[in-house]
Amino acid sequence: MKILIVDDSSTMRRIIINTLSRIGYTDVVEGEHGKAGLDKLAQGGVEMIITDWNMPEMDGLEFVQTVRGQNPSIPILMVTTNAAKEDIVQALQAGVNNYVVKPFTPETLKEKIESLLG
Amino acid sequence: MDQSEIDALMKNAPAAAAKAKKGAPAPAPAPAAPAPVVADDKGHVISELDAVTAVTERETNKVMDQLDVISGLVGRQQALITGLLAHPSAQDAAVQQAINEVMAAGKDIQDKVYEAMDLMQFQDITRQKLERIVHHLRQIHDYIVDLLGTGLKSEGERASISRTIATTGTTPDEKKGHADSVVEEFKRLQGKD
Repeated sequence: MKILIVDDSSTMRRIIINTLSRIGYTDVVEGEHGKAGLDKLAQGGVEMIITDWNMPEMDGLEFVQTVRGQNPSIPILMVTTNAAKEDIVQALQAGVNNYVVKPFTPETLKEKIESLLG
Repeated sequence: MDQSEIDALMKNAPAAAAKAKKGAPAPAPAPAAPAPVVADDKGHVISELDAVTAVTERETNKVMDQLDVISGLVGRQQALITGLLAHPSAQDAAVQQAINEVMAAGKDIQDKVYEAMDLMQFQDITRQKLERIVHHLRQIHDYIVDLLGTGLKSEGERASISRTIATTGTTPDEKKGHADSVVEEFKRLQGKD
Protein backbone atom coordinates (compact mmCIF):
# COMPACT_ATOMS: atom_id res chain seq x y z
CA MET A 1 0.00 0.00 0.00
CA LYS A 2 1.71 3.17 -1.20
CA ILE A 3 0.62 6.32 0.63
CA LEU A 4 1.27 9.88 -0.58
CA ILE A 5 1.84 12.50 2.14
CA VAL A 6 1.51 16.15 1.09
CA ASP A 7 2.54 18.71 3.70
CA ASP A 8 4.86 21.73 3.55
CA SER A 9 6.20 21.01 7.05
CA SER A 10 9.04 18.51 6.94
CA THR A 11 8.51 17.91 10.67
CA MET A 12 4.88 17.01 10.12
CA ARG A 13 5.74 14.70 7.22
CA ARG A 14 8.22 12.89 9.48
CA ILE A 15 5.64 12.56 12.25
CA ILE A 16 3.07 11.12 9.83
CA ILE A 17 5.63 8.77 8.25
CA ASN A 18 6.68 7.63 11.71
CA THR A 19 3.09 6.95 12.74
CA LEU A 20 2.40 5.09 9.50
CA SER A 21 5.46 2.86 9.95
CA ARG A 22 4.31 1.98 13.47
CA ILE A 23 0.99 0.75 12.11
CA GLY A 24 2.56 -1.16 9.26
CA TYR A 25 2.60 1.25 6.32
CA THR A 26 6.16 1.81 5.17
CA ASP A 27 5.71 2.50 1.46
CA VAL A 28 5.42 6.28 1.48
CA VAL A 29 6.05 9.09 -1.00
CA GLU A 30 6.15 12.78 -0.07
CA GLY A 31 5.32 16.15 -1.58
CA GLU A 32 5.84 19.58 0.02
CA HIS A 33 2.82 21.19 -1.67
CA GLY A 34 -0.08 20.35 -3.97
CA LYS A 35 1.89 20.64 -7.21
CA ALA A 36 4.59 18.29 -5.91
CA GLY A 37 1.82 15.97 -4.76
CA LEU A 38 0.34 15.87 -8.27
CA ASP A 39 3.79 15.06 -9.69
CA LYS A 40 4.17 12.14 -7.27
CA LEU A 41 0.67 10.96 -8.04
CA ALA A 42 1.42 11.00 -11.76
CA GLN A 43 4.30 8.58 -11.16
CA GLY A 44 1.69 5.97 -10.26
CA GLY A 45 1.11 3.36 -7.59
CA VAL A 46 -0.36 5.66 -4.93
CA GLU A 47 -3.37 4.07 -3.24
CA MET A 48 -4.13 6.65 -0.57
CA ILE A 49 -3.43 10.36 0.05
CA ILE A 50 -2.88 12.24 3.32
CA THR A 51 -2.77 15.99 2.71
CA ASP A 52 -2.41 19.23 4.61
CA TRP A 53 -4.51 22.27 3.67
CA ASN A 54 -2.34 25.36 4.10
CA MET A 55 0.61 25.11 1.73
CA PRO A 56 2.40 27.35 -0.80
CA GLU A 57 2.25 26.85 -4.59
CA MET A 58 -0.98 24.83 -4.46
CA ASP A 59 -2.98 24.45 -1.27
CA GLY A 60 -4.64 21.26 -0.11
CA LEU A 61 -8.12 22.23 -1.22
CA GLU A 62 -7.05 22.90 -4.81
CA PHE A 63 -4.94 19.75 -4.74
CA VAL A 64 -7.93 17.64 -3.65
CA GLN A 65 -10.17 19.20 -6.29
CA THR A 66 -7.55 18.49 -8.98
CA VAL A 67 -7.06 14.91 -7.81
CA ARG A 68 -10.81 14.31 -7.75
CA GLY A 69 -11.00 15.51 -11.37
CA GLN A 70 -8.60 12.71 -12.29
CA ASN A 71 -9.43 10.04 -9.74
CA PRO A 72 -12.84 9.96 -8.06
CA SER A 73 -12.15 6.94 -5.89
CA ILE A 74 -8.71 7.26 -4.26
CA PRO A 75 -9.11 7.69 -0.48
CA ILE A 76 -8.05 11.17 0.71
CA LEU A 77 -7.53 12.14 4.35
CA MET A 78 -7.03 15.82 5.16
CA VAL A 79 -4.84 16.57 8.19
CA THR A 80 -4.83 20.28 9.00
CA THR A 81 -5.01 23.00 11.65
CA ASN A 82 -8.23 24.32 10.09
CA ALA A 83 -10.82 23.40 12.68
CA ALA A 84 -13.91 25.46 11.82
CA LYS A 85 -17.05 23.64 10.74
CA GLU A 86 -17.21 25.59 7.46
CA ASP A 87 -13.62 24.53 6.66
CA ILE A 88 -14.40 20.86 7.30
CA VAL A 89 -17.53 21.05 5.15
CA GLN A 90 -15.60 22.83 2.37
CA ALA A 91 -12.97 20.07 2.39
CA LEU A 92 -15.62 17.35 2.30
CA GLN A 93 -17.35 19.10 -0.60
CA ALA A 94 -14.00 19.26 -2.42
CA GLY A 95 -13.75 15.50 -2.11
CA VAL A 96 -11.85 14.47 1.02
CA ASN A 97 -13.12 11.27 2.61
CA ASN A 98 -12.22 12.14 6.18
CA TYR A 99 -10.69 14.89 8.24
CA VAL A 100 -8.20 15.12 11.12
CA VAL A 101 -7.43 18.33 13.03
CA LYS A 102 -3.82 18.88 14.14
CA PRO A 103 -2.46 18.14 16.64
CA PHE A 104 -3.58 14.51 16.53
CA THR A 105 -2.68 11.28 18.28
CA PRO A 106 -1.32 8.25 16.38
CA GLU A 107 -4.45 6.36 17.41
CA THR A 108 -6.62 8.88 15.55
CA LEU A 109 -4.52 8.66 12.39
CA LYS A 110 -4.64 4.88 12.57
CA GLU A 111 -8.42 4.89 13.11
CA LYS A 112 -9.00 7.20 10.13
CA ILE A 113 -6.69 5.30 7.79
CA GLU A 114 -8.20 1.96 8.68
CA SER A 115 -11.73 3.30 8.24
CA LEU A 116 -10.81 4.65 4.80
CA LEU A 117 -9.19 1.41 3.73
CA GLY A 118 -11.76 -0.74 5.58
CA MET B 1 18.83 29.28 16.77
CA ASP B 2 22.62 29.22 16.62
CA GLN B 3 25.03 31.88 17.87
CA SER B 4 25.53 33.53 14.46
CA GLU B 5 21.77 34.05 14.12
CA ILE B 6 21.53 35.44 17.66
CA ASP B 7 24.43 37.77 16.85
CA ALA B 8 22.69 38.92 13.67
CA LEU B 9 19.51 39.71 15.61
CA MET B 10 21.42 41.48 18.38
CA LYS B 11 23.26 43.63 15.81
CA ASN B 12 20.12 45.64 15.22
CA ALA B 13 19.14 45.99 18.87
CA PRO B 14 19.77 49.30 20.68
CA ALA B 15 23.28 49.15 22.07
CA ALA B 16 22.37 50.69 25.40
CA ALA B 17 24.77 48.49 27.28
CA ALA B 18 27.68 49.77 25.19
CA LYS B 19 27.02 53.29 26.40
CA ALA B 20 27.76 52.41 30.02
CA LYS B 21 30.89 54.16 31.20
CA LYS B 22 33.88 52.02 31.97
CA GLY B 23 34.70 51.87 35.67
CA ALA B 24 31.46 53.54 36.77
CA PRO B 25 29.43 51.63 39.33
CA ALA B 26 26.80 49.57 37.62
CA PRO B 27 23.39 51.21 37.99
CA ALA B 28 20.46 49.15 39.17
CA PRO B 29 18.93 47.51 36.11
CA ALA B 30 15.89 49.41 34.90
CA PRO B 31 12.95 47.49 33.54
CA ALA B 32 13.63 46.89 29.85
CA ALA B 33 11.39 48.90 27.55
CA PRO B 34 10.08 46.90 24.60
CA ALA B 35 12.07 47.59 21.45
CA PRO B 36 10.03 49.42 18.83
CA VAL B 37 8.88 47.12 16.06
CA VAL B 38 9.04 48.77 12.67
CA ALA B 39 8.35 47.05 9.40
CA ASP B 40 10.72 48.83 7.03
CA ASP B 41 10.46 48.71 3.24
CA LYS B 42 12.48 45.51 3.13
CA GLY B 43 9.99 43.70 5.32
CA HIS B 44 12.62 43.28 8.05
CA VAL B 45 10.17 42.11 10.72
CA ILE B 46 8.58 39.67 8.28
CA SER B 47 12.00 38.28 7.38
CA GLU B 48 12.81 37.78 11.05
CA LEU B 49 9.57 35.90 11.65
CA ASP B 50 10.26 33.77 8.58
CA ALA B 51 13.72 33.09 9.97
CA VAL B 52 12.22 32.04 13.30
CA THR B 53 9.91 29.53 11.61
CA ALA B 54 12.76 28.17 9.47
CA VAL B 55 15.08 27.83 12.46
CA THR B 56 12.48 26.15 14.68
CA GLU B 57 11.65 23.68 11.89
CA ARG B 58 15.34 22.89 11.40
CA GLU B 59 15.96 22.52 15.15
CA THR B 60 12.83 20.40 15.60
CA ASN B 61 14.13 18.09 12.89
CA LYS B 62 17.42 17.83 14.80
CA VAL B 63 15.47 16.72 17.88
CA MET B 64 13.62 14.23 15.68
CA ASP B 65 16.99 12.95 14.41
CA GLN B 66 18.14 12.35 17.97
CA LEU B 67 14.87 10.61 18.84
CA ASP B 68 15.36 8.40 15.77
CA VAL B 69 18.85 7.53 17.03
CA ILE B 70 17.49 6.67 20.50
CA SER B 71 14.74 4.60 18.90
CA GLY B 72 17.33 2.71 16.84
CA LEU B 73 19.51 2.08 19.90
CA VAL B 74 16.54 0.76 21.88
CA GLY B 75 15.64 -1.49 18.96
CA ARG B 76 19.20 -2.83 18.85
CA GLN B 77 19.18 -3.38 22.61
CA GLN B 78 15.88 -5.27 22.37
CA ALA B 79 17.33 -7.50 19.62
CA LEU B 80 20.40 -8.26 21.76
CA ILE B 81 18.26 -9.08 24.79
CA THR B 82 16.03 -11.34 22.68
CA GLY B 83 19.16 -13.23 21.67
CA LEU B 84 20.16 -13.47 25.33
CA LEU B 85 16.83 -15.11 26.22
CA ALA B 86 17.77 -18.12 24.08
CA HIS B 87 21.27 -18.46 25.56
CA PRO B 88 21.78 -21.74 27.54
CA SER B 89 23.10 -19.88 30.56
CA ALA B 90 19.97 -17.70 30.72
CA GLN B 91 17.42 -20.46 31.14
CA ASP B 92 17.03 -20.03 34.88
CA ALA B 93 13.52 -18.75 35.68
CA ALA B 94 14.81 -15.80 37.70
CA VAL B 95 17.18 -14.76 34.90
CA GLN B 96 14.40 -15.09 32.32
CA GLN B 97 12.14 -12.92 34.47
CA ALA B 98 14.85 -10.29 34.84
CA ILE B 99 15.48 -10.27 31.08
CA ASN B 100 11.76 -9.90 30.40
CA GLU B 101 11.61 -6.96 32.80
CA VAL B 102 14.50 -5.31 30.94
CA MET B 103 12.61 -5.93 27.66
CA ALA B 104 9.46 -4.33 29.10
CA ALA B 105 11.46 -1.31 30.27
CA GLY B 106 12.94 -1.01 26.77
CA LYS B 107 9.45 -1.02 25.27
CA ASP B 108 8.43 1.75 27.69
CA ILE B 109 11.39 3.83 26.50
CA GLN B 110 10.42 3.19 22.87
CA ASP B 111 6.83 4.28 23.56
CA LYS B 112 8.05 7.48 25.24
CA VAL B 113 10.32 8.21 22.26
CA TYR B 114 7.33 7.86 19.90
CA GLU B 115 5.26 10.05 22.20
CA ALA B 116 7.97 12.75 22.14
CA MET B 117 8.06 12.56 18.32
CA ASP B 118 4.29 13.03 18.14
CA LEU B 119 4.52 16.06 20.42
CA MET B 120 6.78 17.75 17.86
CA GLN B 121 3.55 18.70 16.05
CA PHE B 122 3.74 21.85 18.17
CA GLN B 123 6.31 23.18 15.67
CA ASP B 124 3.85 23.06 12.77
CA ILE B 125 1.08 24.63 14.87
CA THR B 126 3.40 27.44 16.02
CA ARG B 127 4.67 27.96 12.47
CA GLN B 128 1.11 28.41 11.20
CA LYS B 129 0.32 30.88 13.98
CA LEU B 130 3.40 32.89 12.97
CA GLU B 131 2.33 32.63 9.31
CA ARG B 132 -0.92 34.28 10.30
CA ILE B 133 0.94 37.11 12.05
CA VAL B 134 3.19 37.51 9.00
CA HIS B 135 0.10 37.65 6.78
CA HIS B 136 -1.34 40.54 8.81
CA LEU B 137 2.02 42.35 8.90
CA ARG B 138 2.28 42.06 5.12
CA GLN B 139 -1.21 43.49 4.71
CA ILE B 140 -0.29 46.47 6.91
CA HIS B 141 3.04 46.87 5.09
CA ASP B 142 1.43 46.81 1.64
CA TYR B 143 -1.30 49.21 2.77
CA ILE B 144 1.33 51.71 3.90
CA VAL B 145 3.25 51.29 0.64
CA ASP B 146 0.03 51.95 -1.31
CA LEU B 147 -0.79 54.96 0.87
CA LEU B 148 2.62 56.58 0.53
CA GLY B 149 3.21 55.45 -3.02
CA THR B 150 6.73 54.40 -2.16
CA GLY B 151 8.73 51.40 -1.11
CA LEU B 152 8.44 47.80 -2.17
CA LYS B 153 5.42 45.59 -2.12
CA SER B 154 5.65 42.23 -0.38
CA GLU B 155 6.68 39.52 -2.75
CA GLY B 156 6.99 35.79 -2.84
CA GLU B 157 4.79 32.75 -2.81
CA ARG B 158 3.58 31.88 0.66
CA ALA B 159 1.45 29.18 2.16
CA SER B 160 -2.25 29.86 2.34
CA ILE B 161 -3.11 30.65 5.93
CA SER B 162 -5.65 29.16 8.22
CA ARG B 163 -8.58 31.43 9.01
CA THR B 164 -9.18 29.55 12.21
CA ILE B 165 -5.77 28.97 13.74
CA ALA B 166 -6.85 30.74 16.94
CA THR B 167 -9.38 27.99 17.56
CA THR B 168 -7.03 25.15 16.70
CA GLY B 169 -6.41 22.87 19.65
CA THR B 170 -3.06 22.66 21.38
CA THR B 171 -3.62 19.25 22.93
CA PRO B 172 -3.61 16.23 20.60
CA ASP B 173 -7.12 15.28 19.50
CA GLU B 174 -8.69 18.29 21.24
CA LYS B 175 -10.81 18.88 18.12
CA LYS B 176 -11.36 15.24 17.15
CA GLY B 177 -14.93 15.00 18.45
CA HIS B 178 -15.88 18.23 16.70
CA ALA B 179 -14.35 17.18 13.36
CA ASP B 180 -15.85 13.70 13.54
CA SER B 181 -19.34 15.06 14.20
CA VAL B 182 -19.11 17.47 11.24
CA VAL B 183 -17.90 14.66 8.96
CA GLU B 184 -20.67 12.34 10.14
CA GLU B 185 -23.33 15.02 9.70
CA PHE B 186 -22.05 15.85 6.19
CA LYS B 187 -22.02 12.21 5.13
CA ARG B 188 -25.46 11.63 6.56
CA LEU B 189 -26.83 14.62 4.64
CA GLN B 190 -25.08 13.48 1.48
CA GLY B 191 -26.39 9.96 1.96
CA LYS B 192 -22.87 8.59 1.64
CA ASP B 193 -22.90 6.38 4.73
